[in-house]
Amino acid sequence: MAPSATSTEWDHQFDTLRRQDLFRNPPTDHSAYPALQLAVNPHIESFNAIFRGDGKPGLLAHGLADIGTKVFLDGNDRADPEGRNRLNIRIKDVTLQKPQVPPSNKLALNREIFPAECRERHATYRGKLSATFEYDINGGDTIEFTRELGQVPIMIKSNRCHLENNSPDLLVRRKEESEELGGYFIVNGNEKIIRLLQMNKRNFPMAINRPSFTNRGAGYTTYGIILRSVRPDETSQTNVLHYLKDGNVTFRFSWRKNEYLIPVIMILKALVETNDREIFEGLIGPMGSKAAKNTFLTDRVELLLRTYKAYRLYSKSETRAYLGQKFRVVLGVPETMSDYEVGTEFLRRIVCVHLGNVDVTEKQDLDKFQMVLFMIRKLYALAAGECAVDNPDAIQNQEILLGGFLYGQILKERLDDFLGTSVRGAIRDYLRRHPAVNFTSEEFKKEFPGGIFRKSNENIANGLEYFLSTGNLVSPSGLDLQQTAGFTVVAEKLNFLRFISHFRMVHRGAFFAQLKTTAVRKLLPESWGFMCPVHTPDGSPCGLLNHMTHKCKIMTDHLDVSNVPALVAELGAVETSSASTDESVVIMLDGKVIGWSTPKESLRIADCLRYWKVEGTHRVPLQLEIGYVPPSNGGSYPGLYLSSTPARMVRPVKYLPLQKEDFVGPHEQPYMSIAVVPQEIESGVSTHVEYDPTNMLSILANMTPFSDFNQSPRNMYQCQMGKQTMGTPGTAIRHRTDNKSYRIQTGQTPIVRAPLHNTYGFDNFPNGMNAVVAVISYTGYDMDDAMIINKSAHERGFGHGTVYKTKKITLKDDSRTRAAKSVVKMFGFAPHSYVSAAYQGMLDDDGLPHVGRMVKEDDVLCAYHTVTPDYNGNLVNLDGITHYEKYKDSEVGFIEEVRLIGAESGSEPLQTISIKIRIPRSPVIGDKFSSRHGQKGVLSQKWPATDMPFSETGIQPDVIINPHAFPSRMTIGMFVESLAGKAGALHGLAQDSTPFRFDEENTAGDYFGHQLMKAGFNYHGNEPMYSGITGEELGADIYVGVVYYQRLRHMVNDKYQVRTTGPVVPTTGQPIKGRKRGGGIRVGEMERDALLAHGTAFLLQDRLLNCSDYTKSWICRRCGSFLSVQPTVSQFAPGKKKAPSMVRCRNCAVKLDDSEGIDLTEIQGEIWEDGQGNCWVGGDQTTQVVVPGALKFLDVELAAMGVKLKYRIDKSDEPRRGPMKPLKQISIGA
Amino acid sequence: MPREEYQVPTTSGASSAGAMTRGATGGERHDSRAVMTYICGDCGGNVTLSKDALVACPHCAGRVLYKERTKRMVQFEAR
Repeated sequence: MAPSATSTEWDHQFDTLRRQDLFRNPPTDHSAYPALQLAVNPHIESFNAIFRGDGKPGLLAHGLADIGTKVFLDGNDRADPEGRNRLNIRIKDVTLQKPQVPPSNKLALNREIFPAECRERHATYRGKLSATFEYDINGGDTIEFTRELGQVPIMIKSNRCHLENNSPDLLVRRKEESEELGGYFIVNGNEKIIRLLQMNKRNFPMAINRPSFTNRGAGYTTYGIILRSVRPDETSQTNVLHYLKDGNVTFRFSWRKNEYLIPVIMILKALVETNDREIFEGLIGPMGSKAAKNTFLTDRVELLLRTYKAYRLYSKSETRAYLGQKFRVVLGVPETMSDYEVGTEFLRRIVCVHLGNVDVTEKQDLDKFQMVLFMIRKLYALAAGECAVDNPDAIQNQEILLGGFLYGQILKERLDDFLGTSVRGAIRDYLRRHPAVNFTSEEFKKEFPGGIFRKSNENIANGLEYFLSTGNLVSPSGLDLQQTAGFTVVAEKLNFLRFISHFRMVHRGAFFAQLKTTAVRKLLPESWGFMCPVHTPDGSPCGLLNHMTHKCKIMTDHLDVSNVPALVAELGAVETSSASTDESVVIMLDGKVIGWSTPKESLRIADCLRYWKVEGTHRVPLQLEIGYVPPSNGGSYPGLYLSSTPARMVRPVKYLPLQKEDFVGPHEQPYMSIAVVPQEIESGVSTHVEYDPTNMLSILANMTPFSDFNQSPRNMYQCQMGKQTMGTPGTAIRHRTDNKSYRIQTGQTPIVRAPLHNTYGFDNFPNGMNAVVAVISYTGYDMDDAMIINKSAHERGFGHGTVYKTKKITLKDDSRTRAAKSVVKMFGFAPHSYVSAAYQGMLDDDGLPHVGRMVKEDDVLCAYHTVTPDYNGNLVNLDGITHYEKYKDSEVGFIEEVRLIGAESGSEPLQTISIKIRIPRSPVIGDKFSSRHGQKGVLSQKWPATDMPFSETGIQPDVIINPHAFPSRMTIGMFVESLAGKAGALHGLAQDSTPFRFDEENTAGDYFGHQLMKAGFNYHGNEPMYSGITGEELGADIYVGVVYYQRLRHMVNDKYQVRTTGPVVPTTGQPIKGRKRGGGIRVGEMERDALLAHGTAFLLQDRLLNCSDYTKSWICRRCGSFLSVQPTVSQFAPGKKKAPSMVRCRNCAVKLDDSEGIDLTEIQGEIWEDGQGNCWVGGDQTTQVVVPGALKFLDVELAAMGVKLKYRIDKSDEPRRGPMKPLKQISIGA
Repeated sequence: MPREEYQVPTTSGASSAGAMTRGATGGERHDSRAVMTYICGDCGGNVTLSKDALVACPHCAGRVLYKERTKRMVQFEAR
C-alpha cells in the first residue's frame, strides 16, 4: 500500500470498498472527514485560547493582567495606611497540565489518563491547575512560589488533552472513535458541552428603544445606547447611555450585580483634560458645519454642559478624584491608593474597556473619549428620530459566546476571587489571632505562603467542575450575562446526528425563554446563511434554540489588523467630523474610531478594503468584516464598522470581481448583494454569489433528501426526528458507559442521499434502513398514521434495536465528607453467611454477575457485605450478612459488561463496579418509525408475508403506509425519494438528493422516471399489485418505492401505563402520579366531559370514584358530620376482633357523668363508652356512606379553618335492607 | 479453574449445573479467598485478584478491569 495521503474528497456514491478500507485501516495521517472536525472546531479553538501554545498571551494571561496586584496591610484596620506594612501579591502565571495519574500511584507505567478511561471509570477528565504567585513586602525583593489549585476539567482534543492532533489510527488505539471530534468535557463519566450563546455584538454601540429604561428614575426615556465592551480576556463590561427627557445623558454600568449612574460629562472630563468647547465641538462638529445649525442638537448639548456645572469639577484630576472618592468602596481597591488613582482605576476597569484595559495610555484614554462622544452622537440621532433602533434580536447585532471563552472567564473570576477574598480573609484571620505579628516578622514568613494559603480555599478547580456538571454559574459579578443557569448540556450520543447537532446549537439565552413576546423567536432574513431556518425545534424552545448552518464558522482569534488604520487614512479618512451624517460618517475598527469620511468616500473605502482583503494584499485579513452601513433616511446609523475580533460568525461566499472566496459576517451581510444562484447575478449590483444554495442549511437539514419539495414544517419535524432516531452512536460502544444508549442492529446506508452525507462520514453511523414502501390502504391497520410491516422483514431484522443501560454500583458513600475514607463495604459474599442457591447461581464467587447472564426483575446484580479492620489491619466481616443489589427493571436484559473500577491512586480494593446491561428491543406493535420527511407513524401490525400484496416482479413491500398521509402534509420529497430509491436500487446506484437541483424544465419525476423506465418499470413509479389474500389484482396501481426509514427511540415498552389499584396519595387516597411509581393516567376534566356526553355514568363512577379515592365513612345523620363520629369501646370485649364495632356520634350523645341527678332508669337507649372510660348515651343515628376521600380531606381542612360542613342525610337515603320491595301502587284516576 | 469450565448438562437438567457444583449454601467455601481472573482494560493481560486485593493490573497498573465472559453454559429461550 502506497503511503499516499488519505483523500478527503467525497461525492454521493456508496464508496463501499474505500469505506471498508478506512474501517480496517484507520488512516495514520489525518481523518478522511475533515468537515466533521471543522464543525466542532470553534469549541476546541476557544478552549485553546485560554492557554495558548504559540507564544502569544492566552486569555488567562490577559485576565491575570486585569486582576493585577492585590495589596494587603497589617496592623489595625482603622489606622492610617501609612506606617503599616504592605504585602503586594499578584498571580504571575497559571499553568494547566494534561491529565495524569497522581504521584501517589507508584505503579503506573503509563502516567497519562485518556478520556476513554474517564468514561469507563465515571470519572472526570481533568488536569492539574497550578499558579505561580509573586509577592513582596513593602516593595522589597519579590518572592515567587507555586501553589496547586486542584484539578480542572479539560476539553477533549484541546491543547491540554492527550488526543490533540491524534490520527484516526491512534485514536482507535486509545479506545476512541476513529473520528473523535472532541469539543466537550467529561464530568463524572458524562459528556458535557458548554452551550453557545447569542450575545450582543461586542464593541458596537447599539441604539435601543426599551420601555424598561424609564424605570431608572424620573426623566428617563426609552432611548439608550448599549455598548458591550469586551476586554482582551473576553470578559465584558456593558456601558449604557440613557437619554433623559430634557436632553441630558447619563452613563450607566453594572458592577458586581449593582447598577450605577453617572453624568456622561463626568466620564468625558475624567478621561482626558478637556474643556466645554472641545466637548461641544466633538459632539456637533467644527464651527460652520451643517450640524451646528441643528438647534435640536445644540440646545441639548448646551444643556448637557450647563447641568454639569452643578458638580463644579473642571479639570481631569478633580473629576478623577471625585469619581475615585465615590467608587473607592465599590471597586474594592487597596486603601493605599489615592482618590485620583482610584478614579483612574475606575476608568480602566469600567469605561470602554475594549479600548484600554491594562496600563491605559493617554492615547487610549483619548480613544475612549472619542468613543463616548460617538455614542452620545448616536443617542441624540436616535432621540431626534434621525436613525433607527438596532434590533438586538437580529443576528446582525449579535455574536456567539463560545464555551472556552466562558470557561476562561469563570477561571479568571475564580482566581480573582481567590486572591481578593479567600487569601485576604485568611490573612485577616491570621493577623487577628496573632495581633503581635506583622508582615516583616520572621513568624509571618514561616506562615506565609504555605500556612495561610492552606487556610484559604485553594480548590478553585472544584468550582469549575461544579459549573460543568450542573450548568450553574456561581459568580459575584454575574460575568455580564443574563442567566445564571443552563450553561451546559449533556452531549447525548443517542445517534450521531444528535451528537453533532449539540455542537452546532446556539441558544438565545434562558432569559428569553420566559419572555411572553415572540419577537425574539422570529426568523429574520438577516440570519440567512448563518442560522438554519429549518433546524429549530417546535414547541417552547422554537426560535430560541437555533443551529448554525454547516458552512458557518466562528472566529476564535484576533486578526492582524495593524495595517488597517493606516490604509484607511491613506484612502482619505480625516480626523474631524460633524454630527450630521450627511457630512461625515464614522470609520470604526473594533469599536475604536479610526477616522471620519463623507458618506460617498466611506463606500469607496469599503470597496477598496474588500478588494484587498479578498485579493490578500495590503495585509488586510480575509476574515475582516467590513460592515458598511450606507446612509439612509432614518435607517440604521451609517458608518463603516470594521471588526476583526473573535466570537464573530463568518461564512464563505464567492466574491465576483476576483472569483475568489470571501468571508462575510452577519453585520455586513444585510447591506450586500449576494446572489443565491449564478443566474441571479445582477450586473453592477451583485458583488457576491453563494457557492451553493444549500449553504443556508444546517448539517441535519442537509440530510433531508429533496427537502425543497416538502412543505417546510415537515423538514423541521424531520430535523427533530432525525435526532430521536435509534441509530448508531459510534464504533467504540465497548468503551462507553452512557446511562442509556440506543443502537440499531441492522442499519444501512441510504440509497438516496446528498454528497454531504459522505463528506460528514455519516455512513460510519447508520441511522435507519431502506424499506420497500407501498402507499396503499390495505388492511385498515394503516389508518391514522399507522404502518404495517412485513413480518418477514421483521424477521430479517428490519428495525431491530438494542438498548444499553449502564448501572454504576459503588460502595463508597457519595457524601463529600473527606473524613471517612476507610473501606466499610466490600463486594462478595460474607463468609459463613447463608446464601440461597438461586442467588448463588446468579453470581460468581466475587459477588459479581457473570457476563452473558440473563437478568429478570428482582434478580441480584451483585453481592456485598460490611467489613471492619481488625487489629492486623485486615478487613473482616463480623455480621455474616450478605447484601444484594437487585435489578429493578421489568424488562429482561443481559449482562453485557462488568467493569471493575479501581481508584486513580491504585491503592484501593474493589469499591465500584459498572454493569452494562443489554436489552434487546425488536420492533413491537406501538413502536414509532418515521421516514426522513417528518412522516412518523406507529407500527400497527406485523403482517404475514403470505398475506402482503405483491407486484408483478414478485416484490412485496416491507412497509405499508396509508395514502392519506400525503394530501394535507404535502411531503412530495418523500414521493421523489421513493422514486429515486427504487431507481437506485434497481440500477445499483446511490442517488444524489441535494435540494435545489431540479427545476420546472428538468423535473425530478422525469429524471427518475426515465431511470425506472430503463429498468423496465413504470415511469410514474406505480405498479399493478395483487392481493396477498385473494391473489386478485388490485383495482388501482400502487405507488411502490424504496424509502429510508428511521426507528425512533419512543417505544411502547418505555411508555405503557396500566393500573387498577396501586399506590395512592395518603392525604386524599387518590392514585399517585407518574409511570415510574406505578401511578395512573389522569382522567381530567375533558375526559370527564366526554364520558358525561356519552352518558356512560357507570364508567364515570368507576373512574372517578371506585378506581380512585373510594372511601367508606361513618357519618352522623342527625348532625351531618364526619368528624363527630367515633367507635365505641366495649368494657367486656377483651379482644378487638370480637365485638362488632359500634360507631356513635359524640356530638349528639349526652355524657352521663356530667349531668348529675339523671335517673339511670329514665334513660332511653343504650349506654356506650368511649376510649377514656366516659359513658355516653344517644348519638346512635350514625350510618355508613361512600364518599370520595378528597371530600373528607376537604372537611378536615375546612374544620381547621373554623368552617363546619353539614351533610343533609334524608330518611330515604338510609341503606335499604332486605330484598327490593315493589313501589307503592300508584293510584290512577284519582 | 475447573469450576468455571463448560460442563455438559446432566440428565437432571440445566438448573443443577450451577447448583450442584456450587453447593446450596455459602458454607466453608468462601474462606478460601476466592481468586478470580479478569482482563485488564489497558494492556489486555489476565489479572488475578484475590478477595481483598487492590484493583490494579500488575503489569501496567491499569485501573479498569473487565470481567471475562462466563465459561458456564448460558441458556435461555431466545424468543
